[in-house]
Amino acid sequence: MRNHLRIKRFLPIMLFSTFVLASCSFNTPETTSNVKEAATAHEDTAGSGSANSVSSAVDFDHELDDYKPKKDHYNFYFTYKTIHPWWDAVALGMEDAQRQFLEKGVTITYEYMAPEAASAEDQKKRLSEAKGRDFDVIGVDVADDAIISPILDEMVDSGIKIMTFSSSDASEGCKRIAYVGNTHNYEDGVDLTEALCEKLGYKGKVAILVGSVGAPCHEDRAKGAKDTIAKYPEMEIVATEYDMDSVDLAYDLTIQILKDNPGLDGIICCNMSNPVGAARAVTETGSSTVIVGMDHDQEALHYLKDGVIYCLGVQDCYSIGFDTIQTAVKIADGHKPGDLFEEKTYEKTTVIYQEDAAIMLELLYGDD
Amino acid sequence: MKTLITRKNFILTAVVGSILLMAMIILNAILSSRQTVSATNAAVSEVSSFYLEAMADRRAKTITNLINNNFDHMGKAVAYINAENIKSEEELRANLGKIKSLLSLDRFALVDDDEIVHTQYTTYTGGSRHAFLADEEMEEKNVSTVSIYGSSKQLCLAAPTPDLTIAGKRYKASFVQIDVGDIVDLLAFEDEGRTYFGLYSKKGENITDTELGPYISRHNLFAALKDVIDENTLNENRDNFSNAVEGSITFTAGGTEETLVYVPVEQTDWMMVVLIRESVIQDRIRTISEKNLATNKRQIAFTVIFSALFFSVLLFMLKALSKKDLDAEKANSNNFKNMANTDSLTGVRNKHAYSEAEALLNQRIRQNDIDKLGVVVCDINGLKLANDTLGHAAGDKLIKDACSLICEYFTHGAVYRIGGDEFVVILQEKGFDTMHEVIEDINRVIEDNIKKKEVVIAIGHSELTKDDQLVHDVFERADKMMYQRKQELKQMGAPTRG
Repeated sequence: MRNHLRIKRFLPIMLFSTFVLASCSFNTPETTSNVKEAATAHEDTAGSGSANSVSSAVDFDHELDDYKPKKDHYNFYFTYKTIHPWWDAVALGMEDAQRQFLEKGVTITYEYMAPEAASAEDQKKRLSEAKGRDFDVIGVDVADDAIISPILDEMVDSGIKIMTFSSSDASEGCKRIAYVGNTHNYEDGVDLTEALCEKLGYKGKVAILVGSVGAPCHEDRAKGAKDTIAKYPEMEIVATEYDMDSVDLAYDLTIQILKDNPGLDGIICCNMSNPVGAARAVTETGSSTVIVGMDHDQEALHYLKDGVIYCLGVQDCYSIGFDTIQTAVKIADGHKPGDLFEEKTYEKTTVIYQEDAAIMLELLYGDD
Repeated sequence: MKTLITRKNFILTAVVGSILLMAMIILNAILSSRQTVSATNAAVSEVSSFYLEAMADRRAKTITNLINNNFDHMGKAVAYINAENIKSEEELRANLGKIKSLLSLDRFALVDDDEIVHTQYTTYTGGSRHAFLADEEMEEKNVSTVSIYGSSKQLCLAAPTPDLTIAGKRYKASFVQIDVGDIVDLLAFEDEGRTYFGLYSKKGENITDTELGPYISRHNLFAALKDVIDENTLNENRDNFSNAVEGSITFTAGGTEETLVYVPVEQTDWMMVVLIRESVIQDRIRTISEKNLATNKRQIAFTVIFSALFFSVLLFMLKALSKKDLDAEKANSNNFKNMANTDSLTGVRNKHAYSEAEALLNQRIRQNDIDKLGVVVCDINGLKLANDTLGHAAGDKLIKDACSLICEYFTHGAVYRIGGDEFVVILQEKGFDTMHEVIEDINRVIEDNIKKKEVVIAIGHSELTKDDQLVHDVFERADKMMYQRKQELKQMGAPTRG
């Protein structure tokens, strides 16, 4: 209810922002990233219009579509990369969908499990256990597409309904039924890097904190970052490190990178943990390194507000979670991608800047 | 010097006294009203603080009771689950559903040793989602405020479950999360626009998203107050928040005085803050006072008008009564005077009256203030004879007849009976002018009466001359003449004493 109230308050802004975004957003599914557009979008939205795009970055106002489930009880299993607040945000969207189904008389139970640290081996083990427990659908946020995709194919072949969700899809050609989540990780990496390059005047030394080894979303963003840097001859990548979705490891790595590269101009962070770790290190060392990163961590948003982080790409985790449950029900009922749901459900990412931080903190955490 | 109490003085005193009395009543009423308003205003601050403190304290206790009740229910829920000998996740979920309906623990959950959270509908890894799981070992109850992505803040109550084992797996904790919005609804009171409340963190951040008056609104308390209170006060209150010490702040913003009181909420790191807009109360009291004052004024006006009418009627009645008394006194006085100056037999003035008149005339003669004065002396013939032969009644009748005859002719003179058979008539102005004609006329009647054997009167008269010093001088001459006339009448056959 509190969410609805908040959403109602922002609804007019959101409607307005829809028009603004329609004309200036660089994150539409139809458009690939464009450096100049991203920079222009920031310039355009840095004023009063910025609040609109920020307010619509996360859509909490979801309602189930008209689909009528065939059963009155579904039992799902979801596994994701690692225990982390980002997936907790996805979980809240899932819980909202579960509540709405319950109001319609449909009970949905599910397990939502992850290891302490990202691990393809752990995911293999979890999938192995889950496939014998007769779940209606098993959803996977792929830890490592190379390792996990074949397993998913095997499970599909054995009659298990498999979907992927959240940030990382399986490899191209995987037999999983559908994917709900970020479909533009590469573009997100490009957009963040373009913003950084513009900020640095298209010259300087940068480092990349990737995230988990093999995690498609992290790897794709890192690839987008690398490809963008390669476009500018005066830009140079001096370090690329994997922090394994650990804030502490991200901090340690950043300290080391700054020590090895005293003149470091920028850090590109490809997940939710590493901008926090990087910002802590930069603050502690007094460095002027420009940080760009992903997601909505509360601490990261405060760093953004304070100007330590330059910009953050905020994914709509809530919508990802909500749409995952809604799609899982349809898959459980035997439906294939088509009219009822897309094979890949698009979920947006919005790049926000210092002037947007307070609004985002208020929107996501009720933080003054 | 003695002041003479006259009617005028009495009325003046009554009127002035009444006006002064009314003025005092009005002044007292106005002063009393003003003192009441002033005293009430002075009491407002004190009362508001007391009222706010009680209000904040009561609400803080409501939250504490809510926490204690939830912990109590959580304990019962854990005991219930422990006793159910649950063997599977499905059974656990079913029992969590029962608890929901039995104990009204909507968001009750259990956490096993692997930090997997078990709720009625979901099972999830919760290490990053629930801050209380950060501690390796949970030894005591934990109360924390959690920020939920996209939602309002929640109060998380967690309790260790050292004896709970389900399906061979040990469980470390149970917890509930209460939406702060629900707590706000629980604490709400119906005084919108005048009294506000909110829960604040130790740093002064608004947890409840409730408006604390139009000035502070939903902002950080100290950020909002820094422009309206001095730095020392601000820091002192910051310390109070940090150390969970109750206190109060009064400030003026936008011309409105506002007072807030804060008390720590036990078992939490929250401060319950209640704010009241004193000016609003003062305005209300002022309105009430003004209404009372207007009522007093109407009452005073009514009293003044009524009193004025009452005193007017009283004065009128007093005046009428006084006049009546005065008239009666005058009448009595006149009666007494008349009685003293009137001859009881004939009704004309007596010798006493003649003496008074004579004295007054003598004074005027001395002052040369009179020029026309005639004195007529009349003596009844045969009175002794009538008394002796016919009786006193006949004698009295003779006197009355004689008096009537005299009064009939000397209509413009003052008639006095100065002796048994002797009358005097004083003539002035018109009476003096016609004296001789009148005497001639009456003498003709008298002479006729001799033949008819009716009343006979010997009349002598005289006028005031320049040499006369007294009325008596004139009287002497008239008396002398009367005796001469008496002789003449005797010769004409008039009755005599002999």
